[in-house]
Amino acid sequence: MEERVGQYWHRFITRAAHNSFPKAKLELQQVKAPLGVFFRAMGGDAGLTISSCSATSHGARRSWLHRLAGTGQKVELAWRDERCLYLPHSLDVLPSQALNQDLYYWLAALATSGSLPADDWLQASQQATIKTLGAFPGLTGRYEQLVAAMLPMRPSLKSLSEAEKYQEKTIRQALCDPGSVTAGTFFDSTISPAPVYLWLHPSPPLATADLSTNEDSTVGLDEAKKIAQADERRRRGERVEMPDDKPGAPFGVRHETSLFTFAEYVKLDRSAEEDEDLSDAEKIADELDQMSLSQSQTSTTSRIKFDLDLPSAAADDLVLSEGIRYPEWDYSKQQLQADYCQLLPMLSRDAVACDLPEHLRKPCTILKRQFQQLAAFPRWHKGQFEGDRLDIEAYVDYWASLQQGQQPAEARLFSQKYPAARDLATLLLADLSLSTDAWINDEQQVIDVIRDSLYVFAESLKAAGDEFAIHGFSSCKPSHVRMHCIKNFSEVYNANIRGRIAAIKPGFYTRMGAAIRHASVLLGRQTEEKKLLLIITDGKPNDLDRYEGRYGIEDTRMAIVEARKQGLVPFCITIDSRANQYLPYLFGRQGYSWISSARQLPQKLPQLYLMLTQRLGQ
Amino acid sequence: MHHHSSLNLVANDKDIKTPYYQPQGNEIALFEHAFQHQLPVLIKGPTGCGKSRFISFMAQRLGLALHTVACHDDLTAPDLVGRHLIAQQQTQWQDGPLTRAVREGGICYLDEVVEARKDTTVVIHPLTDDRRIMPIDRTGETLHAPDNFMLVVSYNPGYQNLLKGLKPSTRQRFICLTFDYLPAAAETQVVMQESDIDITTAEQLVSLANALRKLKDQDIEEGASTRLLVYTATLIKSGFDPVAACRAGMIEPLSDDADTLTGLMQLVHAVFDS
Ligand SMILES: Nc1ncnc2c1ncn2[C@@H]1O[C@H](COP(=O)(O)OP(=O)(O)OP(=O)(O)O)[C@@H](O)[C@H]1O
Ligand SMILES: [Mg+2]
Repeated sequence: MEERVGQYWHRFITRAAHNSFPKAKLELQQVKAPLGVFFRAMGGDAGLTISSCSATSHGARRSWLHRLAGTGQKVELAWRDERCLYLPHSLDVLPSQALNQDLYYWLAALATSGSLPADDWLQASQQATIKTLGAFPGLTGRYEQLVAAMLPMRPSLKSLSEAEKYQEKTIRQALCDPGSVTAGTFFDSTISPAPVYLWLHPSPPLATADLSTNEDSTVGLDEAKKIAQADERRRRGERVEMPDDKPGAPFGVRHETSLFTFAEYVKLDRSAEEDEDLSDAEKIADELDQMSLSQSQTSTTSRIKFDLDLPSAAADDLVLSEGIRYPEWDYSKQQLQADYCQLLPMLSRDAVACDLPEHLRKPCTILKRQFQQLAAFPRWHKGQFEGDRLDIEAYVDYWASLQQGQQPAEARLFSQKYPAARDLATLLLADLSLSTDAWINDEQQVIDVIRDSLYVFAESLKAAGDEFAIHGFSSCKPSHVRMHCIKNFSEVYNANIRGRIAAIKPGFYTRMGAAIRHASVLLGRQTEEKKLLLIITDGKPNDLDRYEGRYGIEDTRMAIVEARKQGLVPFCITIDSRANQYLPYLFGRQGYSWISSARQLPQKLPQLYLMLTQRLGQ
Repeated sequence: MHHHSSLNLVANDKDIKTPYYQPQGNEIALFEHAFQHQLPVLIKGPTGCGKSRFISFMAQRLGLALHTVACHDDLTAPDLVGRHLIAQQQTQWQDGPLTRAVREGGICYLDEVVEARKDTTVVIHPLTDDRRIMPIDRTGETLHAPDNFMLVVSYNPGYQNLLKGLKPSTRQRFICLTFDYLPAAAETQVVMQESDIDITTAEQLVSLANALRKLKDQDIEEGASTRLLVYTATLIKSGFDPVAACRAGMIEPLSDDADTLTGLMQLVHAVFDS
């Protein structure tokens, strides 16, 4: 009972103290998509994804209600780094939704002006404001409205000490008349000002040791999803360094000795009660300044390590030829690094010829019938010696030459319907990295649906009589990009190939660029007029080294650009729910398809193939 | 902006009928050389960047007749070559636009040639190598192209067309000119010239268009063309509200996706709001 009362009290206080307008609250989620378009159009880096940021301490003097409630010292401010534009998870600092929305757009615009030099936040913020308003004068009116709405939210001057008052006045001046506060204005570095929502973060958390290896771990999908979401609100706990935590740093955090630190607070809290649900736990983690790895993450990490020891040559699959060297794109240098990757063509050692698995027989029978029709897709062919219809044009020509006393060459006067050959070759490239080890439901892992998809795809294309090859890839650093041959173009799809499909297994990472380059070479050798490169994946490119985040994305993009230049048509099919954050950048809006439920992949793949090849104008 | 000798030529041209054309680079000189040596020309470039305008400008400049064929996916060889028509009591041969151009001389311009059916290449190939002939099976005739005949084809290498593509054996018969949207200053000139709009608005429109072009392939299939810019400027010039004109003339034509449109309109506000 007492506990209950305590909770109510906490809630009441929290609400009263929170400097916000709950009714005017706008979630980033609601504006994220158009905001992304806007950011890119304003000149923002198209490779960045928009992500919500976690609250960071601002350390300013809080009102007594805030102190009592224990909230309000954490604020969400915007910043950007190499990979992401971080924006507040939600905004309710301004009294209307329209204003909060304007604030989101303003922050996105401001972030396009480049990252701030960390040494003089006040100067940098003013300069960024001037630059943004200069480039887009249409924003001036809205900026002025935002400032006008924001000023009354600033701390009242009366409540501040002399030094704080001076600082606050300076900030207000910089907001109202950007550029008017000159460099070298003295600030007492022990005073943190109240957060300025119109500017970017004064000292954003630095680029972090990336936790996204989670994506490639062995955790179940649900859990992975939760981790991913939590990961999205990047916690300060992940940071490598926190220079702004050092007391005395400009605008740094001043530790409030009078209060528990949040970490302590949470510890106390947690010992008192079991965490009831995960969302609570996440909130707690969000509030933690330093977050230690959770139990599950620790086990994940160790398991990855374990799995990553390369098998001995004897136990591993057969390596078919000497490694093939491929270059890799370094976006930061804007250049190709020649021979950077070594790709090993491989063949499964334990493949045993087999039949189509029982559960696929019925669906495949139906699909085969459908695809056979495609092979037999009839078209009217003009100028035939005989046929079901008169070819009027030929007939008129014939008649004309007779009349003019010429002897027409041949009486090809009919049209006839018959199947037209499809001049098309397809290479299917499947991601076999360790992430495909994840469970979709109680019975199936991602790798299982990929395996089924390969069967279904092969059965269908064989029925259609279209040329195809299937390869699977994974990687472990640039020296070891594994390319499993499942079916070459020259091989006939039969029980042996089915055996190789049966033998695919998840392992290692996703160095997509090298795999695409190799697939492009194989497909490029085909003589068919149209060449389709289909890529099936469940996540972003990544690997153990720096092939991670932006670097991997940019290299993959370059490999796709090269493939296009070569006249191939790349298309990606993904089951990654976050694909829309990076695949448009890689493949273009029309260049990929997201399948929301992995289980549907086997049905969807043949459908997509049909759709694509019809678009190919066959 | 850099100056080209060709720019002066445009300015000096007394012929009032010559359409206004703002050069991108050395394309005028290149085209003239190609014409002198009877080489066919392929023009690549995004939609509405001045390809058609360039051709009509060149036709005027070289004093040639211009035969334009807009290709579409049902366009077959007989549509280019010609066909027999049924007249009273008898049939009559009628030349197609390509045949007419070969007979009369002048430029035959096949716009968006990738759209045409494959059988058209059979006609194009003998005309684009050193034979310069056009056999007409149906009448048994073989035409020899006169010196002042020139074949020009264009296509937009946008990626929806990569799926269709031009065969290398066709592509490699042409001198290739690559067009793109003009640099900002030159494009501003074009917008002012074509719509009579003031320089400030023209500059705003061009900067908006360049922002939109960055989104190509990721958020939108094609960036805003010079043509759309001219349309929008024309609306504004006739008194329409700039933001509304941009929505109708530059934003809505680019996408049907609601989120994309919302984001793009925010951009328009960022450029045009006062
Ligand atoms: N260099 C230029 N000089 C003068 N006007 C231009 C130029 N470029 C574009 N324009 C303007 O843009 C309009 C569209 O250009 P044009 O019709 O030549 O495009 P296009 O490249 O042929 O496009 P499409 O591929 O869609 O046929 C022209 O009517 C003209 O107003
Ligand atoms: Mg045109």
